[in-house]
Amino acid sequence: MEKSKNVSAFWGKEDWQAVWIGFIVILIACIAVLTKAFDFSAVKFSTWAVGESAATKAVPLAQQLGAWVFWRKLIVTVVVLCALFTLGVKLQGESVKKYIPAFLCLFVIALVVRFISAEFTLNRYLEWAFWALLIGLLISNTVGVPDWLKPAIKTEFYIKTGLVIMGFSVLFSNIAKFGLYGLGIAWIVTPIVIIFMWWLGTKILKIDNKPLVITLASATSVCGTSAAIATGAASGAKKDDLSIAISISIIFTILMMVFEPMIIKAVGMNQLMGGALIGGTVDSTGAVVLAGSALGPEAEQVASLVKMIQNILIGFIAFAVAIFFATRVDKTSEKKVGAGEIWTRFPKFIIGFFAASLIASFLIQPIFGGAAVKEINGVLDQYKNWAFVLAFTSIGLDTNFKELAKQMHGGKVLWLYIVGQVFNIALTLFAVWFLLSGVVFDVPVLDLFK
Amino acid sequence: MATTKEKIFKVVTILVVVTILICAGWIMGRHLGLVPEYDFGAGAYYYADIPGFENIIKDEGYHTKVPYWVHVVLFLCWGWLMYRLWVWIDKRK
Repeated sequence: MEKSKNVSAFWGKEDWQAVWIGFIVILIACIAVLTKAFDFSAVKFSTWAVGESAATKAVPLAQQLGAWVFWRKLIVTVVVLCALFTLGVKLQGESVKKYIPAFLCLFVIALVVRFISAEFTLNRYLEWAFWALLIGLLISNTVGVPDWLKPAIKTEFYIKTGLVIMGFSVLFSNIAKFGLYGLGIAWIVTPIVIIFMWWLGTKILKIDNKPLVITLASATSVCGTSAAIATGAASGAKKDDLSIAISISIIFTILMMVFEPMIIKAVGMNQLMGGALIGGTVDSTGAVVLAGSALGPEAEQVASLVKMIQNILIGFIAFAVAIFFATRVDKTSEKKVGAGEIWTRFPKFIIGFFAASLIASFLIQPIFGGAAVKEINGVLDQYKNWAFVLAFTSIGLDTNFKELAKQMHGGKVLWLYIVGQVFNIALTLFAVWFLLSGVVFDVPVLDLFK
Repeated sequence: MATTKEKIFKVVTILVVVTILICAGWIMGRHLGLVPEYDFGAGAYYYADIPGFENIIKDEGYHTKVPYWVHVVLFLCWGWLMYRLWVWIDKRK
């Protein structure tokens, strides 16, 4: 730890390290895409399937592993991530000799997670966050985590870095994609649901774990896993809190993706309103697109537009949560918290998240065009996912089932989600009726369907 | 000692959890809700995780006459108002 005193906070503190590591990855991706000089893509398993199935998009494993490009990308991924995180660890004053072998082992476990979560059925419904937690939990609760692996378990470091990289994909121009209709449905409802769940969780159900309440509230009202990761980091949620919020959100998303369009069809709601309702209430973006398409092409468009606006909210909600926790939850005395204290407590990675978003929205997109930004995000998305898989595997490795069960607060957390989600659906339904039914305002027509 | 109310709450919660897990397993087993043409599912948490998302969201999807800055101002005003509401509710006992 002595060494870290000689290094400035910007280089030596994990919070700032996440910012500059994230920006190094973003910068290299921008150079690679804009100059076409080299391929910076990270490795990813394509969907594969066991035996004959409905997996029309599945690529046989032998074909994937037999391609040189797979191994080249794997080497690039492990070298880039290992080099950057090791540099961070060194500047934190920790042992590099201990970190490198531990990181490589963690990476191998994360590789197994990504391999399993690329299987057709597992990929379509649960994906990496769930499997990373499960595999980590299985290891830690059966054979146990050896001491030499522990230096690599740096959950917050990986999460914060992933979030800074993710910031580049949040484009502010998307805020007006569905005009005031989209803003009304996505933005009026979301904070009300968060506040309702906060009130329900902390005042009525008396759950004393406030980071868990806010993490679950944002997962419910914004966009599931991504929002939970950002808000969890902003509120200083513990690893168990994040595991619980994400597991609940993932399982319920499967149900909502199938049953919500069924109910909408059964009650005879039109595609415009049905799509907006789905976009505003189903947690994961993939599930929103699929549930919308079950109603029809117009519903799919509207659902995707509303969800895309909600995706922008992640950074703002995380920012508000960070300020709220710094000024109200984490304060030690009744005195008003000063600006200096707020700055000290404020999670700096949020600055990196916003900076990345602003650069993408107001610098790269206007100069190089939307297509270039999409291509850059195609590269960055996999680095973001790798950082999150490392984080979630770390969470699993650092958790035991007993601790996890305790954090359910005797089932209160589940009921907080259920009641919050019902409130979310009811309020979004009202907003959808108010804005899109034609009773109060003109019914908007998407250009594609004119 | 748990009261009868607490016991009922626990039993109902367990029943809900079991039902949800069975439903989720049933949906997954039958591949319900998927679209064969799309190479993603509910597991694509974020829009950037969806291959070809730009083809799903068409740029010409909707054109509004309201200026962009109006959206931004309304967005920020509502956010600030809601933050104040959150603080006010949290202060109440």
